[in-house]
Amino acid sequence: MRLPGPRRRRLACLVVALVVLLALLMASMMIGSTAIAPSVVWDALFHPTADIDHFAIRDYRMPRTIVGLVVGMALGVAGALIQALTRNPLADPGILGVQAGASFAVTVAVGVLGVRDISGYLWFALAGALIVTLMVLTLGSTRRGSSPVVMVLAGVCVGAVLGGVREVLQATNPDAFDAMRSWNAGSIVGRSLDLVWPILPFFAVALVLAFAVSGPLNAMALGDDLAVTQGVRVTRTRVLAIIALTLFVGGATAIAGPIGFVGLMVPHVARWIAGQHQRWIFAYSLLLAPILLLASDILGRIVMRPSEIPVGIVTAFVGAPVLIAMVLRKKASGL
Amino acid sequence: MTMTPLRRRGAALAALLSAALVLSACGGSGDDPNPAGPMRTVKAGNGSVDVPADPQRVVTIGNTTLPFIDMGGAPVGVTEVTASELALIPEKQKATFKAATNVGSSGDQVDMEKLAGLKPDVILAQLPDSEFAQIEKQLKSIAPTLFWGLDTEWKTLAGGLAEAANVTAGLSAQKAEFDKKITKIKETYRKVIDETSFVNVDRWESSDPGTFSIADFGCVEIAQDDIGMNFPKAADGQDPLGWKFLPFEQIAGLSKYDVITYPVDAEGKPKQAFAPVVETNTWKALPAVNSGRALGLFCAGNNSYGPVLQYLDSLDRALATLPAKK
Repeated sequence: MRLPGPRRRRLACLVVALVVLLALLMASMMIGSTAIAPSVVWDALFHPTADIDHFAIRDYRMPRTIVGLVVGMALGVAGALIQALTRNPLADPGILGVQAGASFAVTVAVGVLGVRDISGYLWFALAGALIVTLMVLTLGSTRRGSSPVVMVLAGVCVGAVLGGVREVLQATNPDAFDAMRSWNAGSIVGRSLDLVWPILPFFAVALVLAFAVSGPLNAMALGDDLAVTQGVRVTRTRVLAIIALTLFVGGATAIAGPIGFVGLMVPHVARWIAGQHQRWIFAYSLLLAPILLLASDILGRIVMRPSEIPVGIVTAFVGAPVLIAMVLRKKASGL
Repeated sequence: MTMTPLRRRGAALAALLSAALVLSACGGSGDDPNPAGPMRTVKAGNGSVDVPADPQRVVTIGNTTLPFIDMGGAPVGVTEVTASELALIPEKQKATFKAATNVGSSGDQVDMEKLAGLKPDVILAQLPDSEFAQIEKQLKSIAPTLFWGLDTEWKTLAGGLAEAANVTAGLSAQKAEFDKKITKIKETYRKVIDETSFVNVDRWESSDPGTFSIADFGCVEIAQDDIGMNFPKAADGQDPLGWKFLPFEQIAGLSKYDVITYPVDAEGKPKQAFAPVVETNTWKALPAVNSGRALGLFCAGNNSYGPVLQYLDSLDRALATLPAKK
C-alpha cells in the first residue's frame, strides 16, 4: 500500500530527523574536550574495561548525552504545546511562568533552606513549576472559562514578579547565587542519570497527554467556538495540555535549569516541515529539539576548550540567528 | 523649588543625622586617645601614610583581619570572615577575632558610625579597589588608613600590616620559621623537585556541578615560587588556570603528570567540595592515583605565615610518603 504524498514526505523527513539525532548522539559521545574514536565509544558501551577513556564515556559523556536527549525532547514538545494552546507563535515554555516558578522554588531552596546540590532541589523545581501553573490557571480563568490571552498575561506577570523576588534573594545571598550559577545558566554538565530516572514517569505521562490532546488542539486552532461545534471540550483540553506542559517544563528545568529558545524555535521548524497537524508537530519536536540541544552542547564543549559554555547560552546564540534567518526566508509559520 | 512641611521636616532630620554622623566620624581622628604620640610613616598600596608609632586600637577590614591576628595582633574592630575560614584558625586566634567588634559583613558594608565609635588609631584594609574607592574618604576621616589591593603579594601584605600595626616581632619569628622549612624541603626533596611534574587540582563550593579546576593560586604558589616545584600555571597576563571550570571528563587528562596534589582538610580527608572528584572512576583509574602518587595537602590559607607554615608541614609529610617514580 502506498502512503499518500504528504504523509510519505512527513514520514521520510521524520526518518531523516531520527538518523540525524542518532548521529548526534554518537557525536556527543565522541566529541568533547578530547576526541574519542568511535571504536573506543563502542567498546566503552558494549565491552567496557577499566580504560580511562571508557570511564570518561560511561560516567560523563553517556549520562550527559541522555540528559540532553530527554531535556530536549521535553522542551520541544512543551514548546509545541504552548504555541498551539495560546495560538501564539512567540510563545515559549517560559511564558506561562512555569520556568520562573521552578527557578524561584530553587532559589528559595538554595538561598533560604541551604540546599546545595541539584538532586536536593530537583523536587523544589518541579513543585514550583506546578504551583505557579495552578496560580496562572486560576488567574487566567474568566467567567466564560479559561482564556489563552488572559492566561499568558497572568503567566508573564507572575513570572516577572517571581523573577524580581528571585533577583533580590540572590543579591542578598551571593553564596546561594554561586551555588546555583550553573543551574541558572541552563546546563547539562555534571547531571547524573540519577536525576533523570525520577522525572521520566512525569515525562511519560506528559507525552501521553500531549498526543491525547493533539486532535482537539487541531480543532481549537480554528477557534474555540468552531471547536465546540466539533464536540471538543475546550477547557478540559486546555487543562490537560497545561498539565502536560508543566510536567515537561518543570521536569526539564529541574534537571538542567531554564534553557530558552529550544521550545520557541523547534515547533516552528516542525510546522514548516509537517504542516499544521499537531500530532506531526509533536513528533517532529520530539526529535528536532534534542538535535538542537545536543548540537549546541557539543558546540559549547569545543569552542572554549578546555572550559565549556553552558548549553543554555549556546542555544540562545545558535537559535536566535537561525530562527531569524528561517523566519525571513519562509515567513513565520502560521498558527 | 518649594518644599512641603513634611519634606522640610524630613530634610531637617536628614541634615541633623548627617551632622551627627560627621561629628561622630570626626571624633575618631580629632579626639584620638593618643593624639600627640609619636608618629611613623609606613608604605601601603595607597602610598605613604603617617600612623601612630605604637597603635593600640587597630581596625581590620576585608582580608587584613586574619593575617593581622595571625601575627599576634588583637584588632578592636573587624569585618566578618567566613565560617569555613574561621574553622581553620587556632582557638586562641578565634577568641581574638570574636572579642573584636564586628563593623560590617564585608569591606563594602562597613558601618561607619560603629567604626568611628571604636576610635581606632589605624585602619588596615584589603578589598577590591572599587570597593575601597567608595569608602576611602570616610575611612580616612576616622583614622589613618592603609590599603592594599587584592593583587598584593601575601608577604608584602604581611610585612605592611606588621609594620603599620607594630607587630613586627611576631612576623620576624614566623619568617624565620618559614625560611627554615623552605630550606629543609628544598634540601630533603631536591631530586624529586627537579625531576617531577606536578599538577594541583581543586574544587570550590561555587564550582559548577561535574567540574574541577587545575588550581594555580593559593598555597600552590608557595610550592611553585618558593620551593621551585614544577606545577602548571597560566602564562603571564592570562587568567589563572584555576578560574576555568573543567568538566569531569577532563580528569583523564591528568594522566600526563607524575604527581597530583589535591586539597584535604585538617584530618587528611579530601576537602568536602573536592570529594566528588575522588569518587569518580576516572580519578581512581589515573596512574598517579593508582601508584600512590596523588598527595592530599592541607592549605588553611595563603595570606599569612601561620597557615602557610601549616601547608609546608603538610607538603613535607606528603613528599616523605611519595613512592619512587617507576
